[in-house]
Amino acid sequence: MSPDFSIIGKPTAMVDAAEKTTGAGKYTDDLSVPGMLIGKILHSPYPHARIDRIDSTRAEKLEGVVAVVIGKDAPNPYGILPVGHDEHALALDRVRYVGDNVACVVATSEAVAEKALELIDVEYEVLPAYFDPEESMKAQTDLIHDNKPYNLEKDYHHVFGDPDQGFVEADEVSEARFISNEVTHAAMEPHSTLASFELDPHTGKPGRLTVWSSTQVPYYLQHKLSLVLEMPMAQIRVIKPLVGGGFGGKSEVIPLEIIAAIAARKAQAPVKITYTREEVFWAHRGRPRTIIDLKTGVKKDGRITAVKARVVQDGGAYCSYGVVTILYSGALLGALYDIPNIQYDGYRVLTNKPACGAMRGHGTVNVRFAFESQLDELAAKIGMDSAEIRRRNLLQPPCITVNGLRVQSYGLPECIEKTVERSGWKQRKGKLPKGRGLGIACSHYVSGAANSIIRSDMPHSTVNIKIDRDGGVVVYTGASEIGQGSDTMTAQVAAETLGCTLSRVRVIAADTDLTPIDIGSYSSRVTFMAGNATLRAAAEVKKLIAAAAAKKMNCATDDLVFRDDAVVRKNGHAGTDHVGTAAVGRPAERSEAAASVSGHVEGQILRGSLQQKRKDQGPKDSLTFEEAVVAAIDFHGALTGTGSYAPPPEARGGKHKGAGVGPSPAYSYSAQVAEVSVDEETGEVTVHKVWAAHDCGRALNPVSVEGQIIGSVWMGMGQALTEEMVWKDGMLMNPGLLEYRSPSSIESPEVEPIIVESIDPEGPFGAKECSEGSLAATIPAIANAIYDAVGVHLHESPFTPERVLAAIRARKNSKALNLTEGVDPTAPTRFREHGGSLWFKGKGPERHPLDPARSQTPTGGAD
Amino acid sequence: MSLPQFKLLRPRSVEEAVAHLAEHKSNLRVLAGGTDLIPSMRQKLFEPEYVLDLRGIVAMRGINTGAEGGVKIGALTSLRAIERSDYLRQHYPVLTEAAATVASPVLRNMGTIGGNICLDTRCLWYNQSLTWRKGCGFCIKKDGDLCHVAPGGTKCWAAFSGDTPPALLCLQAEVEIASANGTRRIPLRDFYTGLGDTYRRLQSHELVTRVFLPASSADYRGVYRKLRVRGSIDYPLAGIAVVMKRSNGHVADARIGITAVNPAPLLVEGATALLAGKEMDDSLAEAAGDLAAKTAKPLTTSALTPEYRREMIRVFTKRAVLAAAN
Repeated sequence: MSPDFSIIGKPTAMVDAAEKTTGAGKYTDDLSVPGMLIGKILHSPYPHARIDRIDSTRAEKLEGVVAVVIGKDAPNPYGILPVGHDEHALALDRVRYVGDNVACVVATSEAVAEKALELIDVEYEVLPAYFDPEESMKAQTDLIHDNKPYNLEKDYHHVFGDPDQGFVEADEVSEARFISNEVTHAAMEPHSTLASFELDPHTGKPGRLTVWSSTQVPYYLQHKLSLVLEMPMAQIRVIKPLVGGGFGGKSEVIPLEIIAAIAARKAQAPVKITYTREEVFWAHRGRPRTIIDLKTGVKKDGRITAVKARVVQDGGAYCSYGVVTILYSGALLGALYDIPNIQYDGYRVLTNKPACGAMRGHGTVNVRFAFESQLDELAAKIGMDSAEIRRRNLLQPPCITVNGLRVQSYGLPECIEKTVERSGWKQRKGKLPKGRGLGIACSHYVSGAANSIIRSDMPHSTVNIKIDRDGGVVVYTGASEIGQGSDTMTAQVAAETLGCTLSRVRVIAADTDLTPIDIGSYSSRVTFMAGNATLRAAAEVKKLIAAAAAKKMNCATDDLVFRDDAVVRKNGHAGTDHVGTAAVGRPAERSEAAASVSGHVEGQILRGSLQQKRKDQGPKDSLTFEEAVVAAIDFHGALTGTGSYAPPPEARGGKHKGAGVGPSPAYSYSAQVAEVSVDEETGEVTVHKVWAAHDCGRALNPVSVEGQIIGSVWMGMGQALTEEMVWKDGMLMNPGLLEYRSPSSIESPEVEPIIVESIDPEGPFGAKECSEGSLAATIPAIANAIYDAVGVHLHESPFTPERVLAAIRARKNSKALNLTEGVDPTAPTRFREHGGSLWFKGKGPERHPLDPARSQTPTGGAD
Repeated sequence: MSLPQFKLLRPRSVEEAVAHLAEHKSNLRVLAGGTDLIPSMRQKLFEPEYVLDLRGIVAMRGINTGAEGGVKIGALTSLRAIERSDYLRQHYPVLTEAAATVASPVLRNMGTIGGNICLDTRCLWYNQSLTWRKGCGFCIKKDGDLCHVAPGGTKCWAAFSGDTPPALLCLQAEVEIASANGTRRIPLRDFYTGLGDTYRRLQSHELVTRVFLPASSADYRGVYRKLRVRGSIDYPLAGIAVVMKRSNGHVADARIGITAVNPAPLLVEGATALLAGKEMDDSLAEAAGDLAAKTAKPLTTSALTPEYRREMIRVFTKRAVLAAAN
């Protein structure tokens, strides 16, 4: 029987809902400080060039311009990964993508700053550029980074078990290339940073720095600022105001965050920079275009014998999280199903395009699309139901997978069972009208990485709690609320543990001066790790309160129950032994006591004497929360607690090279069924409904969990059907929300979220992640439903109408039409570029004569 | 991206407006709903010294039926008002259907019929920020002398992407153009040049003030079909309007208009001859689709491949004429 909680598991409104919905809440761009100036960044027009000279004299003379910042003003390299310090806030001598950061103008207004950008003279020496990762991997000269031969950021080659023998044992083998095109986060709030220095009272020079920024990782930002500005971290305060969505796009240090600080130092005034939407696309850090060459073998009984994957990621011009991404892509082949033999070859390749990084479902999504699609094809080959083949390959936890991942709680069987049941799979699969179909797919994700990106023994999360005599509980956490509900989760965990009401709890979050270190909101780590830290901090405080209360109540601390704003003795009188029922026992005198204690007339000083009086009256069977707190403060002197969390050593993975990425203290699981219809004449796909079951361990806040499931499905659907960054020779053709098409409310299908609770042994109250794991299943579920509807397996995402129609027409042997510029969406071989052409007859923008983009025959409109 | 600085002119009458136009001519842009102009100005596609905000001219709003039959629609009438007009829905359904597909509800509240007719042609290589266009090289339509879409050519292929004009062409609409010299009235089909850059025949001192729908076009069945990736917000990637009159189970008269696949919205030539007097069936609909697809000349000005967009003109036309006939 599940334990009875008073706050955990109850649908709870987000603690910041009111300020967001009324508009009272402040996001970074809403902030303003006296004397604040505006910064605007000059971006590279070339995909790859050497900077010979930057002359900003003309710009500096413009009225209203205060300073022009260039790379030399802060030349230290940085990067989110210790192995990838390859970025400069502003280019030193080389630009590597169209949109790379060259200079920043600080001026009194945005308009003046923009005008000044036009007056900065930059001399470039244009270099050959690389846009296709498979071409880029052949590069001998003009490397994107001189220390990366073949433009290879990193490659990994893993063999677990005996894949060759596995394929020998297989009855059926499928082998194919899958391509996932590039997508980006498209968070509603564009990145924004406000940086302000306090003047040092002794020197009059800029001293302490305060940075307000739309970030998922305040601590990393503080760290990188310290590195680039050469200031001690203690002199830097990072504050995260409300954030309007991150999805990974704010999970590392973005150039503007450093540039704003450098600019504020040079201008000796506060500087705010807010990206335009186009700049958000250039800052990017989204999901890379990925080539997946996948081979899977199965026995006739459906058991997978071996998997072999070669993955090439088009990573863009900088490392970013790339090394982690390419490792996740391989590592997360494991821990979903029981796969005895795995071979993985992963290549993270540099190209002259904006850097890719972490995005919701980091690393797993594109490979999962390929895997789940291929598994469906194999099910068809052996004549097995596609839900059944997934059931045949379940893990038997607790276990350690062949690639060293520890799996404990495992709700996947129940996820499959529930989606199959709710969607009417058995009755309806294969029996829907023509053009309509059902598809199933599964996915999983980490509840935080077991190994921090900065290798250390430091806890991943630390939380402080203080309670004063007013009974207010203040929780200090570095965890970043980015809209996912982290503050609400923190308040819930603290309130449940302390047995107080939610309204007593105030969460102070993500301010490096006030809150202890938390490594940030990414890889779905906050509930598990910051939640556990909160739990421990609250438990520590509870212990102090219990000691005092037990003394007062003349009982053992073990006999006390903290619940519903009271501390009661388990075997007390007057119904107090009925704790755990809805009508929890409360002391009869509580109301008068509360009235006299918390009345305005009674000052805090009086409370002590009141307590004293009570004490004289003899031991109580119960105390109000405030009474217990006051007793504890009287007893201990102060009421504070600290908790921290570091993943256990046994969850930290194997010993092979790259084993650090993939291990997690717990994995979430998802199974989804999508119902779609396909218009066979237009190729348009409509998703009617998605049944999405997600094992989140325990739903601390069910309404929030459902929101995350629905959001994941919706975002996955965007990648499946409409979202695609379209490139032409390094130019992003659709850097805006009009042409980069996230689904609108009209396309949003009904999503039926199904919460599955496997109660993880190590999660806070058994909880695991719920924000990312569901995304990856949506894409293959839709792909498989399209197959069920019209009999084509699309191997290239997104499944735009032209691709779907091309596949349908090919299957029907209809009249040949070149709908997809020669790329067969059921068997793609290469990335497709936008059809227009920049390079012809020596015209167009200046490019290096050896630029691979110029050697291609011009395409485009005949006529 | 900041809005360039400009002086805002807010006339209260057409006379005042055309006086401003006569005075400032090429230094001025006209704002009706502003849904396209404002983002374009942020992208520095236009940096006029003056913006002429027409929204205070009450006389340019409204849907009026004339004594001589037909209907006059003020150029400032919102697309929302057209979408919601019972009179138009009853007598000119193709127009309400087309208006209802424009952008999103919020944008239709602001956008006007005059603005939709005058809508600047669009191209992926043109509707970009100044920084972007600099990076890629300026094109014929703005600041440059080459075309990224049809390399080597000197013609601009930016696609006309309004939804209502193909419907208005089918309805044989006329537009009233005012200037300080008086007003003139021309058929809408003569309004467009077929070129992507100088896409309309409107002098810099002129203003489109009204749209006339003739009585002879009333009570045609009408269908508008729009290709777009999303069910809202998007401009058409291909659009097709059909009007049709039937008698005795035969097509008595019909016209087909297409949009977003050429630099101008076009009536499909020969469509009336093909359809009139015939009984509608699949093969006739197919023939109409083939004819429309031949008129379409989509290029890489937008998302989705040109071949696909042409094919959709064919499929949508076929479906639209069948829908109009049944």
